[in-house]
Amino acid sequence: MTDHPTIVVGIKQVPDDDEVSIDPDTGRLDRSSAPAVLNRPDRNALEAALGIRDEVGGRVVAMTMGPPPAAEVLEVAVAMGCDDGVLVSDVAFGGSDTWPTSLTLARTVEYLDGDIVVCGEETTDSSTGQVPPGIAAHLGWAQLTYVEELEPLPETGQLAARRDVEGGYERVIADLPVVVAVAFGENHPRPAGLHRKIYAETEFEPVTLDADDLGIDENTVGLAASPTQVGGMDTIEGVERERVTVGTVDELIDELAGTEVLP
Amino acid sequence: MTDVNSEEYEDVWVFVEEHDGEVMGVSWELLEEAKSLAEETGEDLVALVIGHDVHDVAERAVSRGADRVLVADDEVFEPYRADPYGEQFRAMVEARKPSIVLIGGTHTGRDFAGRVAVPSHAGLTADCTEIDVDDDGVLQARRPAFGGNVLATIICEEHRPQMATIRPGVFESAPAEPDREGQIEHVDVVVDEADTLTEVLERNTNETVDITEADRIVAAGGGVDGDLAPIRRLADALDAEVAASRRAVDEGWIEGSRQVGQTGKTVRPELYVAVGISGAVQHLEGMNDSDVVVAINNDPNAPIFEHADYGIVGDLFEVCPALAEALEETDTPEVTP
Repeated sequence: MTDHPTIVVGIKQVPDDDEVSIDPDTGRLDRSSAPAVLNRPDRNALEAALGIRDEVGGRVVAMTMGPPPAAEVLEVAVAMGCDDGVLVSDVAFGGSDTWPTSLTLARTVEYLDGDIVVCGEETTDSSTGQVPPGIAAHLGWAQLTYVEELEPLPETGQLAARRDVEGGYERVIADLPVVVAVAFGENHPRPAGLHRKIYAETEFEPVTLDADDLGIDENTVGLAASPTQVGGMDTIEGVERERVTVGTVDELIDELAGTEVLP
Repeated sequence: MTDVNSEEYEDVWVFVEEHDGEVMGVSWELLEEAKSLAEETGEDLVALVIGHDVHDVAERAVSRGADRVLVADDEVFEPYRADPYGEQFRAMVEARKPSIVLIGGTHTGRDFAGRVAVPSHAGLTADCTEIDVDDDGVLQARRPAFGGNVLATIICEEHRPQMATIRPGVFESAPAEPDREGQIEHVDVVVDEADTLTEVLERNTNETVDITEADRIVAAGGGVDGDLAPIRRLADALDAEVAASRRAVDEGWIEGSRQVGQTGKTVRPELYVAVGISGAVQHLEGMNDSDVVVAINNDPNAPIFEHADYGIVGDLFEVCPALAEALEETDTPEVTP
């Protein structure tokens, strides 16, 4: 590991999924009233990145991609302890799917001369989980996803991780540079410090980068350059349920006995 | 902007995920679902097996419906790592040009799929729950969006292959037909241990239960307030696995691998008992395929009752033990000589 690694944290502003409501007439989700917040799993990413800095030093830079108001989440990151924040913003990026998004973020990591990239497991608005591996693929770096615990190994310039896998876990060592996606909820994000909070709200100004700054050909990003497109949206018909309310446990067992689902 | 000639791409590929010879159930689910895609497009159903000493896995893929199996067999692939898997898979995709590539939406599948799609400039759709092809052979990859009550159809018209990861547990598994015949082909291995970026020190998969395989589930929500004893007792009486809502996982009452819902797992048990779960759409998305849903909640207005077959309004700390006790009594005692 370099003596003072640059740790870049990818974060995103999303609609608060606790606040989305269902329109009673159409059955569709109403997200217009939902406030924009920091993607919840990104707090675990920020904590993991700051934890690496606690152990080996270096600096932590938060990056986010989106329209200018998305810079709000950088304030949260700086208040938690990030050294700096970068807004990646350009109309050319509009409509990007995960391919150009991870390209843009990979170029940002190169611009920032990053050694380690830390992301959340997925975003709560699109939930693909594809961007962290996408960044690693664009950069040709190692990747560690679904990470539950991280341990920097400064002597060998590597990062060790415990990863969640189906039915258990595995322990993996990756060479730097590396992209890490932290499993949701696997650490306890630190609260914002008061002084950092005041600094973030009053003095902090994010650096803004556009496609030109990153040396990105505008034809390689945005909606037109995205391999996947949304072909349509359908409301999911709710599953028809019996909706029988029973008064006693015995009645419930009687009902279930008829369905043959009891052991 | 692309000059991809989709005519050059054919066949439906299914990735067969194996770890140490053990095949993940989702692989057979994908083979079954992909059979109809291959029939519609008139193409071959091709299984991909990557691992070490996996000839047996390849034969099983044939018995489960693959017309052909491509096998990359080398020590470098065991245990799984994203970089050698991704590179091998990418090389096979670029050399053989499949039209459609389906990968299980497991942690492994979601880990390496991007390492194929990015360098191949393929379209990759995440966590699909329905797949189909239109008359032009364009994959219609459907996935729940916006918290689960909208189904978005994602298409990829100008890039190939059309890749998708598919949620485990949403399709029926392909039955094994031992007499089925198919062609097994070993392919060149293009990766070398010296080029790998990671090293697996230890892999332990006997620790946690896979709730996606459970026939019966008792799930705990915020209402249990940190006390899982009534949930565990009821689960024992029902011979069920314990699962949880996001709230119960967030609070640290239960491990994340047992979370059901949008940020957790999709389950399709015969019986799903939701205890102290209000019924947010994100949770419903993960349990809607259950055959029979029972809700236990002290709030008569909880949305979960709208999505349950049978509901009891009551204190879970009274209802669960009473239900467990009643079930224990109705158990036929096993007679051992």
